[in-house]
Amino acid sequence: MRRLSILGGLAAAGAATPALAHTGTGLPGGFVSGFAHPLGGPDHLLAMVSVGLWGAWLGRPLVHLLPVVFPGMMVAGALAAMAGLPPPPVELGIALSVLVLGACVAAAYAAPTWLAVAIVAVFGICHGYAHGAELPSAADPVGYSVGFVAATGLLHVAGIGLGALKDRPVGAVATRGAGLCVAAAGLWFLGQAALR
Amino acid sequence: MRGGALPPGLLLAALGLALAFAPTRAWIAGLALAVLAATATMFAPLPATWREAVFLGGWASLAITAAATYPPRGLSPAVVLVLAANAGAWAGAMVSVAGARLDGVRALAGLIAFPIATACVQRGGGIAPKVVASWLIAVAALAAALPFLTVTPGYLPDHLD
Repeated sequence: MRRLSILGGLAAAGAATPALAHTGTGLPGGFVSGFAHPLGGPDHLLAMVSVGLWGAWLGRPLVHLLPVVFPGMMVAGALAAMAGLPPPPVELGIALSVLVLGACVAAAYAAPTWLAVAIVAVFGICHGYAHGAELPSAADPVGYSVGFVAATGLLHVAGIGLGALKDRPVGAVATRGAGLCVAAAGLWFLGQAALR
Repeated sequence: MRGGALPPGLLLAALGLALAFAPTRAWIAGLALAVLAATATMFAPLPATWREAVFLGGWASLAITAAATYPPRGLSPAVVLVLAANAGAWAGAMVSVAGARLDGVRALAGLIAFPIATACVQRGGGIAPKVVASWLIAVAALAAALPFLTVTPGYLPDHLD
């Protein structure tokens, strides 16, 4: 019984977490926190993979241009958030980004360059605004920024890699099907955002 | 926390990306000049009050050096040497004002980007280093803006510290 009590005490001590009150340094980490951040939310993740998938369908130059535009505009959005500029409808924008980008992939929509860049830029700002609020309190903002941008870029690259399957007979159907699933998820996110 | 090896490492990584688009004959001179300039400024006794200015210069140099991957005709040897000296100088200065000497050595790891980017360029995949360079520009913009924002950056003490 005594041994059980000791084990129970040790388990309780092990399970106890430090107080998560305001410590003045906010987020604990640098690179790892920043890298994990875009991977943590399915809406962000799906949108970023979809950018790459759509880019793969659009081909050159957009396959290279979109992974440049999206992180760049995310930074613009993050800066807007940190500067305290009035927020755009962030939740709706993010949900719409998943819906629209998924639909573009599903439809294999060959948008003109300017339109594709504009769509991705607007959605990049929404995603960046949502993330920007977390950055200033990060203990290591440079590491956080690097992780954050690297994860975003790598999700685009993953999308491009998946999109490369479109050149195979079954791959085209599979990637467009994936786009349809993303669009469906976007519709669900949109409903959730509208209900808030 | 803002010092350490990461900021100068990113700058040297950007230089590595830019060098991949430079003429082969400028590679050795560029790398040597960058290391020399970094060593010189790393050991220079820069006043602590220059910290913000040094980091601003470092982030601006990161953006410029990364952007040097984009000119369609590549870089001339003279431009490469200027970029290398500039990147090295700012990298060393960042270590001098907010890092340990060992951080300067660690930051050299950023130059690993050079052989990787060169391999990409030589295999016709020059777009990959350009995309990575654009991400570095995004990071530089974000990091450069932090001290000017009304919020408290994480590396500065806030009201509870």
